[in-house]
Amino acid sequence: MASLGELERTVMDRLWSASGPVSAAELREGLADRGLALTTVHTVLTRLEQKGFVVHDEARPRRFRPRATREEHAAELMHEVLGQAGDRQAALARFVGGVDADEARLLRELLDRG
Amino acid sequence: MLPATAAALAVLAALLAWPVPALLERARWPRRDPLVALVCWQAVGLAGGLSIIGALLVHGLAPWGHSLPEAAWSVLTGHPADAVVRGDHWVTLTLAGVLAAELVGVLLLSWLRTTRTRRRHRELLELVVRPAAQPEARLLEHPAPVAFCIPGGRPMLVLSSGMVAELDDAQLAAVVAHERAHLREHHHLYLLPFVAWEAALPVLPAAAGAHAAVRTLVEMRADDVALRSLSGPDRRRTLARAIVAAAGGAGGAAVPSGALAVAGGAVRERVVRLLAPPSPLPGWARVLALASAVLLLLVPTALLLLPAL
Repeated sequence: MASLGELERTVMDRLWSASGPVSAAELREGLADRGLALTTVHTVLTRLEQKGFVVHDEARPRRFRPRATREEHAAELMHEVLGQAGDRQAALARFVGGVDADEARLLRELLDRG
Repeated sequence: MLPATAAALAVLAALLAWPVPALLERARWPRRDPLVALVCWQAVGLAGGLSIIGALLVHGLAPWGHSLPEAAWSVLTGHPADAVVRGDHWVTLTLAGVLAAELVGVLLLSWLRTTRTRRRHRELLELVVRPAAQPEARLLEHPAPVAFCIPGGRPMLVLSSGMVAELDDAQLAAVVAHERAHLREHHHLYLLPFVAWEAALPVLPAAAGAHAAVRTLVEMRADDVALRSLSGPDRRRTLARAIVAAAGGAGGAAVPSGALAVAGGAVRERVVRLLAPPSPLPGWARVLALASAVLLLLVPTALLLLPAL
């Protein structure tokens, strides 16, 4: 049984690669090899909506689409996790922060000299 | 309770508010043993808070008894004061309450906010990362060379595809070992009080400096731990190369440099330290530093709990 997190990723991948809004039933068909119940698909979609990654329209049945494209999602992620907007403490363990061009040159010289 | 106890605590608090952190910040020995230095920083922070609140409390409660436990018990059981309670006693008691509430409150708030932010980051990440070739690591499709980890109950170690493209296997192993060291030793907990107190006491010049120093020491400590788990004669240079590649490559527009970019000097210190390692701290110096840290905590505790001399 796949974890909810993994299902969320799979559903999100489907929504991102779809050409337009998709209904839950269509999603389940697309994931037929996993043998998911419709309620499971709905659970996953609800969770994704609560996290703000998915929105639905008012059609019947409801159709779902990602709130942002995959690229926008990645950009937002980088901004939040590593940017000034993010909490410095939360991303504490970034391997190394970026430095400006002068500092980068200086670092490379250090390495060549050493 | 003699005013000497309150005065001694106030002097200690003043020393810990500026001269001691300033000295520790400028000292050269911490880079020789980051872990011992981190312990010392925790002691400075804890003893500082303890002595300033203690000084106010001891003075404020003086009319109720000869020692802090005795006076506190008298107040709690509703005993009348032995001596006249003046205005300054009430003022210091109020200040002690406000300061204690602020320090603890900010620490708690900071912890809550960080936990929430981390959960959000994990949610954002979980949708797009996939398992990486390195054990325990996840791969994030992004051109900028970055690596980071999200600490907490379900820790997450992330490498960007840009990082994987930029570095060779040995360098990547060094990066992962460094991040794993952060997670295994819970470095975020060392930082938490300093983040919180910088927010709580922006007027205290030492708070920002202490935070920066602890941040650098945590990185150096993670470098040290990473080196231990790596093999090969050139592992110091491998890690240094990885640091330089990641720092230089991240300057592009793809990644907001943000507050982390001010760490330029700290990055250089790490690289210098890897290429020309300082001799490790001798045993006696380690013992001396750790004993000082313990003493720093014992002095205000003893002043608070023992009956006035």
